[in-house]
Amino acid sequence: MKMTWSQGARMPAGDRSGTHWIFNPYLLLAFRLLLAAIFIYAAVQKIGKPLAFADEIRNYGVVDYGPPLYIMAIVLPWIELLCGISLVTGVGVRGAALILVGLNAMFLAVIAKKTIGYMGDGTPFMKIYFDCGCGFGETYAWKKLLEDAVYLLVSLALLAAPRHRFAVSIRRRSS
Amino acid sequence: MKMLRNAIFQAMAIAAVSAAVGFVFNSYSRNGINPFRGAVNVPVTADTTQSGAEGIRVIELDEARRAIESGASVIDARRKDEFDEGHIPGAILFDYYDMGTYRDRVLPLLSNEKDIVVYCSEATCDDSELLAKELYLLGFTKLLVFKGGFAEWSGAGLPVERGEI
Repeated sequence: MKMTWSQGARMPAGDRSGTHWIFNPYLLLAFRLLLAAIFIYAAVQKIGKPLAFADEIRNYGVVDYGPPLYIMAIVLPWIELLCGISLVTGVGVRGAALILVGLNAMFLAVIAKKTIGYMGDGTPFMKIYFDCGCGFGETYAWKKLLEDAVYLLVSLALLAAPRHRFAVSIRRRSS
Repeated sequence: MKMLRNAIFQAMAIAAVSAAVGFVFNSYSRNGINPFRGAVNVPVTADTTQSGAEGIRVIELDEARRAIESGASVIDARRKDEFDEGHIPGAILFDYYDMGTYRDRVLPLLSNEKDIVVYCSEATCDDSELLAKELYLLGFTKLLVFKGGFAEWSGAGLPVERGEI
């Protein structure tokens, strides 16, 4: 019987990587390096420019002024950087993947919200072009949505992978 | 389930280290900001009857011109390359996104005795208003935001200065 993670199956330890092609260890390593490169680059563009990044966040109309906005502008680029470093070094890969699932889901939601706003103004979906504030400059909304959807799926694969090669396993000490 | 618990533990550790490093870096960075400042409470009004009142007032081209002619300080909130291409005569460059570089350079040139006119590129940009809020928090209270910005100024055929100041 084929069992999957979502069914809460307990598979024999050390024999989980063959369950699905997406969990191929080399493919997972490629996913890690891809996400790491993207998030480290994005982080470096924003670190040290909290006012500019706060302005980008504010433009999404989700968090306006005040401490939540500024704290996000100060901390978020460092979270992206540390997630990238975790994925490259293999220290805390699953934790980094969990954060990236959350971040990418959030990015998708706010970009979708902004895109819907532009469509409400009469701009055709395929022609919506804006600076998402992601650190990569201006781009088409459809392209950014597609990219973030791919990053979300890749992060989910890293989170759900039974095993990671070239990674250090960190576990909470159970009492 | 155990793997998810480990993932949550690792994620919390990454978030905690990121927050710690981020705040330490921010406190030493020349562009660092105080995350607990109260910019939201800065009064911004477009009421033209409040001439001379303290706070931030949004003004139109005519009033901007009059204020500048009567000796108000003029702050250009755009980037340096935009400023070099052309700016309102006498304007001082203060790139809103590079506070660390311009704060110490520009603040000594400003005074609470005079109005301060702040502008950016055009009516759709809000860097002038954001910079005015920063200046208000730094203690300046006679702030006028020229909303039409450089586009309206140059479009009206008013004099423009080029190059660095």
